Amino acid sequence: MLRPYIILSTVPRLLLLLPTTTYRTTAFVEAARQIGVELTVASEQASTLEAVNPAGLLTLDFEQPERAADAVRVFARQYPIDGVVGVDDRTALVAAAIATKLALRGNPVHAAIAASDKHVQREQLAKAAVPIPRFMLHNLEDDPAAIAKSLTYPCVLKPVRLSASRGVIRADNPQSFLAAHGRLRAILADPETAAACGDRARHYLIEEFIPGYEVALEGLVVDRRLHVLAVFDKPDPLDGPFFEETIYVTPSRVPGGLQAAIRDCADRAVRAIGITEGPVHAELRYNENGPWLIELAARPIGGRCSAVLKFGEAGSGKGVTLEEIILRHALGMPIPSLRRERLAAGVMMIPIPGAGMLQEVRGVAEANRVPLVEDVQITAHPGERLIPFPEGSRYPGFIFARGETPAAVETALREAHSRLTFVIA
Amino acid sequence: MAAAEIGISAEPIDAQRCKFVVSVPVFAGGVRRFTGSDDAKGSPLAEAIFAIPGLAVNELIVSGNIVTVVKQSPTPWQAVGKPVGAAIRAALASDVPPVAAAPKPAGAVNDDSLYEQVARVFEEQVNPMVARHGGHVELIDVQDAVVMLRMGGGCQGCGMADVTLRQGIEGMLAQLVPAVRGIVDITDHTSGANPYFQASKK
Repeated sequence: MLRPYIILSTVPRLLLLLPTTTYRTTAFVEAARQIGVELTVASEQASTLEAVNPAGLLTLDFEQPERAADAVRVFARQYPIDGVVGVDDRTALVAAAIATKLALRGNPVHAAIAASDKHVQREQLAKAAVPIPRFMLHNLEDDPAAIAKSLTYPCVLKPVRLSASRGVIRADNPQSFLAAHGRLRAILADPETAAACGDRARHYLIEEFIPGYEVALEGLVVDRRLHVLAVFDKPDPLDGPFFEETIYVTPSRVPGGLQAAIRDCADRAVRAIGITEGPVHAELRYNENGPWLIELAARPIGGRCSAVLKFGEAGSGKGVTLEEIILRHALGMPIPSLRRERLAAGVMMIPIPGAGMLQEVRGVAEANRVPLVEDVQITAHPGERLIPFPEGSRYPGFIFARGETPAAVETALREAHSRLTFVIA
Repeated sequence: MAAAEIGISAEPIDAQRCKFVVSVPVFAGGVRRFTGSDDAKGSPLAEAIFAIPGLAVNELIVSGNIVTVVKQSPTPWQAVGKPVGAAIRAALASDVPPVAAAPKPAGAVNDDSLYEQVARVFEEQVNPMVARHGGHVELIDVQDAVVMLRMGGGCQGCGMADVTLRQGIEGMLAQLVPAVRGIVDITDHTSGANPYFQASKK
């Protein structure tokens, strides 16, 4: 007869909030094993094995952060929690509620809300004079024809709570604004999407389009201080009409002085929003007027992209992953290094090749053989329906490369991608 | 088969372990686990992988079209994956079977006993539970007290498969069959056509 585990351990226990749809499960679970902590995984749907490991598996309502925090407070009476980590926007908010309730290291709830709600975020950034695009909030029911006449073009329509550029559409004139509005309305009408957006499902932002070169910044906030872990170039122009990301390469080739301005802009945004602890991922643009903060999230880089980041002495056995850094920070454990390895590294989120049912992917072995390419991961499975942006946002796979220079890495990623053929029916 | 026609995809599990999924069968005789170069003698694929300079392989598991390598070297998989791929291709291109059938080891009785116990846990406890998500877990073999399993149905390619494995099955075996020293998942998760939970976030 299997009995529930009896926990008599003095090893710290980490509560990891993993949505069932995340790509991040393996990276975080393995990081927890690597640092040797007791792990409790909480998801929004029950594991089929939850009954046999009540200390290690938990179900929480991620849509109700305060209710989830109450549930964890009860749980922690039997299985004390020493740290909590969320892996995406939604669970970062739940983690903040739990951290506040259990007095754990984490962000205040208001900061997590601001990081996950684009409108709240922009209002706070504007108050703090952080450079951001001009913006306005509208209800989907507001007359789009009247709005279209009043706008300055180009502009960008954005859902308030979706991530990964889903539903983000550029409009260059009233006609394209109306078309974009129709598409966004349809996206937000999807019940699952509406549920993810909560009380913001009927709202959207209209923003000034900021021309310029885009970078991403990965950081860790420790006691209100931003430590920049990496700045990524995004060498493919993101000018719309949709904003599907492709290549991230680090270190950035942006001149040093401008990088300092980018870091300063991100730091000001972190302070304006009130983020005090944990990972941040920021997206910024720069042009002749300097850097502009486009998005700031209180979570790490998404998808499988974090695999491109190694810290410390990679190859020496002392290197650590981004996930390990995040978990160690949450638990107050020493972090071996926040310095990225010496080599340049990059990842390509493989562009969605078209709409339809994926039959097969050819050329993976050839892509893997491209010099500097370390791995080609196809995450879409045969029979899966591929949905292009802006309605979709699930990349069919990832390509990773590492080399001496960012330019060589970028070339390798493009070369590997050119070897792939997606057969779609 | 020409080496160039063989597709291989590397799936690192962690810093020590990596699965190499091969487009053609490597070993059809069940599972073979190698724990050293002496063990590898007679199996060209294993001999070649244990001989890769600087890799410091301490375990190799071959089953079907999956080759799982466990190394001591701190060098990232990204840097050492290609020599492993080259060794697999060379072994498959040869006329000699890449992996010889397993000899009957002296300790087979213990593994047989463990196999029976683990199989019972899977049949009576694990599978009725994971079946609720359309999944099943197949016990492939037990070698040197290490359990090799394959996940299927809703578990194959599921975004939470690692949670099921590490937070569920591993703990159950630790409690019910404490002699088990470890678990190796040899599932080709990339081929899962009907995962219960599918990763969809950026």
